[in-house]
Amino acid sequence: MSASYEQGITLAGDLHARPAGALAVAAGRFAAVISVSAGDHTADAKSVLGVMGLGATSGQHLTVKASGTDAREAVAALIAILSEATKVGG
Amino acid sequence: MSTPTVGIVLVSHSTELAAGAAYLAAQVSGGTVTIIAAGGTDEGDLGTSAAKVADGLRRADQGAGVVVLPDLGSAVLTVKAVLEDHIGKGTVLLADAPFVEGAVAATVTAAAGGDVKAVAAAAEEARHVRKL
Repeated sequence: MSASYEQGITLAGDLHARPAGALAVAAGRFAAVISVSAGDHTADAKSVLGVMGLGATSGQHLTVKASGTDAREAVAALIAILSEATKVGG
Repeated sequence: MSTPTVGIVLVSHSTELAAGAAYLAAQVSGGTVTIIAAGGTDEGDLGTSAAKVADGLRRADQGAGVVVLPDLGSAVLTVKAVLEDHIGKGTVLLADAPFVEGAVAATVTAAAGGDVKAVAAAAEEARHVRKL
């Protein structure tokens, strides 16, 4: 069964290289197609360079969208990483 | 995880550049991928070493294949010469990619469990990602 899910989060810190890497590594383990959007920019969550290229900073609102069989789990996992990994610098 | 990940070999003219790129890629990807820095000549000067590359291929291969990223022209020649002798010793793909961005993208894809083709493709796609 295929489904789409999305969830937003306001960043507690800047989306530096290491949190972007953690996000992309986690995203790559899901079958779902997953995107991360910040303002007008959208990146493939599985592309670490794309996620870094968002240049997302503290206080900015991000939206994670996923579609596919494991979309719900993917969105939950990535929101958790964005919540945790941006608390500290990287 | 028990499944082996694709290994990465970074071939640079500079010992420090290869080591620095390997460190950066390891930090960004969480440190689960085997990344071998093969930089400089056997004497540690600027240049590349077939012996270092061959050793790197052997050490990087965890059973899922290896992706090699060269930095500049003659590093490519060195890698190609080594690969001619590497036939039958495991899958190795040579990625045509920006060195730093390719190393980071390839390692992150390897850490996520991508196969050798996906890892090489991630490195090569780095060419098309704008940073501004």
